[in-house]
Amino acid sequence: MRYHLIVLGCQMNLSDSERVKSVIEGMGFKHTDNEDEADMLGVLSCSVRQKPIDKVYSRIHKWNKIKNKRNLITFVSGCVLPDDKKKFLKLFDFVFDMSELNNYPTMLKEYGIVTPLSLKNDIEENSVDQKEEKAELVTPEFSLNAVNLKSAQSKPSLPNNKNIFKLWDVKPHYESEFEAFVPIQNGCDKFCSYCAVPYTRGREVSRPSDEIVAEVKQLMQDGYKSITLLGQNVNSYGLDNKEEINFAQLLEEIGKLGNELKHKCWVYFTSPHPRDMSRDVVEAISKYDILGKQIHLPLQSGDDQVLVKMNRKHNVDRYRESIAHIKELVPQATLFTDIIVGFTSETEEQFMNTMDSFDEFKFNMAYIAMYSPRPGAQSFRWKDDIPKDTKKDRLQRLTQKLVSISGQYNKNLIGSEIDVLIRTTERKTGYLSGHNEGKIITRILSKDTNLIGQIVKAKVTESSGFSITAELI
Amino acid sequence: MAEEYYHNIHKVLSNTHITESTFILRIERNGLEYTPGQHLVLGRKDEGEFRQYSLYSSKDDPFFEILVKEVEDGEVSPKLKKLVAGDEVEINGPMGYFTISDARRKAHPIVMISTGTGIAPFKSFIASYNDMNYELIHGVRTIDEAYERDFYSKNKLTVCTSRDEKGDFKGRVTDYLKTQAFDKDTLFYLCGNSEMIFDAMELLKEQGMNSNNMFAEVYF
Repeated sequence: MRYHLIVLGCQMNLSDSERVKSVIEGMGFKHTDNEDEADMLGVLSCSVRQKPIDKVYSRIHKWNKIKNKRNLITFVSGCVLPDDKKKFLKLFDFVFDMSELNNYPTMLKEYGIVTPLSLKNDIEENSVDQKEEKAELVTPEFSLNAVNLKSAQSKPSLPNNKNIFKLWDVKPHYESEFEAFVPIQNGCDKFCSYCAVPYTRGREVSRPSDEIVAEVKQLMQDGYKSITLLGQNVNSYGLDNKEEINFAQLLEEIGKLGNELKHKCWVYFTSPHPRDMSRDVVEAISKYDILGKQIHLPLQSGDDQVLVKMNRKHNVDRYRESIAHIKELVPQATLFTDIIVGFTSETEEQFMNTMDSFDEFKFNMAYIAMYSPRPGAQSFRWKDDIPKDTKKDRLQRLTQKLVSISGQYNKNLIGSEIDVLIRTTERKTGYLSGHNEGKIITRILSKDTNLIGQIVKAKVTESSGFSITAELI
Repeated sequence: MAEEYYHNIHKVLSNTHITESTFILRIERNGLEYTPGQHLVLGRKDEGEFRQYSLYSSKDDPFFEILVKEVEDGEVSPKLKKLVAGDEVEINGPMGYFTISDARRKAHPIVMISTGTGIAPFKSFIASYNDMNYELIHGVRTIDEAYERDFYSKNKLTVCTSRDEKGDFKGRVTDYLKTQAFDKDTLFYLCGNSEMIFDAMELLKEQGMNSNNMFAEVYF
């Protein structure tokens, strides 16, 4: 029996998908890329924008048509708004929070659905004489036959993180042999007005630090070269539990581990919130080689009034303070950010403050999004009053500014020797592609695919706005 | 972590209408921990629509209270207004970081600036902590919106009314702030609409106050 999983959205969903695959494969299902041959179809949803949700609806309507012709199990999990959850209950067989992933095999069993493993166990539990009879009873049909099960129908629709710890107990099926994501925290208590995550992921919950350190240690021992600590607010780590260490202390623990194992590896984290970007965190990054010298700190806007309206709980001064700590303690660190242009009522003057912030903070990379109202978020109820052309124009101007700033930084790298993690090959050009410690995209002219997954020494020869070219040393 | 931490269906204990549009909804606390200044995500059970509400009650009360103003054509508040004892609501929380630590409370004078139902977390601060050196400024349109005014010490509360002259000051909160001088080590807590918060912060900065001593909870 085979399964097919569609993963929409962010790195968090990608990380969760590694655990979902692990649970499903634990029931004996085999993965297939072809949804037409799958017996179980699942989707990890994303509610950040309307488009992924539309994709979920489109998929389930297609799948439910297939169910009229053959047996099929469907499920949805991930980031789902309460309102969509109510609708999904009528469309999918199973709708569950990621924190309930561990219960998924039990849910299947309770509804009498036979999985490859339960079939095997049932057979083994019975005597040789009964084997044939039992096998006949359960094959070839599922006991589920195009019936929509409403597994969470009577439950509250707000996300409940009660069992999120059990999700983290699941050993993930890592997609890569050299890059890994380690969830350290789930949920968000910040309630930025443009974002629906608190309504889909629930409140901030920290994963026990001993589990995180153990997973990171295992990854280092297995030779992983890039490990990213993941969470909606990674640096709020520990704030929900007085008995837990804080984020800076967690970084210290991982830093010590790096010193002890002497493994060449870079540990990153995303996404932090400026409110909790304390000096302690930056000090930890400065102290340990294993902590990657790249910091992604979302600013969202360079204007205080817009930041208040976004309910960001930090102002530009607070952000400036964090950047000052970074420039003082880790001057070699590259700086990435997230920006929204054209937020409700953003004036040209307010946008220009964001432009000025780029001159001041000298970002190496910015993920710039044109504002679009997100269902479930506070701002969804406000008029989206900035014309699309204005948003596009602001996006373009800010991107040009970014290219100019990051291009100058990259130009200054020419002639320097750097370490590069080779990640893939560019089919068309024959270049190997990867990134340096600061996550600047680096291209190397070589066809040696054995280098993929290795950190190699290289000398920078050329630069462009967002990338550098280097030669192997 | 306590199991109760996650319980999120709570019964309504009472619904007290204090003006035509504003009411205090009291619900079961069910043993949940709470730090004054935190909020709940709350909605009527089975409706699938939720909003954030600061807690209005004291940390020592055996129940939770929120202060709600009905929003015309709103999705949630008109439904909450109709709730009666025995009905159920769904909540997440309490959560949030708009709180005052013991150290801050004991070391600094505190000025709380609010508009409308933004007074809710400040009522909770005042009801929970009797060791605060505070001043409370409440901006409303008319005096009937100065909710439960008698609860506060008269010499610590300034009601600013913009549309009648029955308050302590005629005008907006920001007009009142222009007439005041504060100690440099004052902590400012602001809660209300985003325009008031931004304007008040700018004014205070112009008066030489440190922006790192300003904490805001925006109401939309």
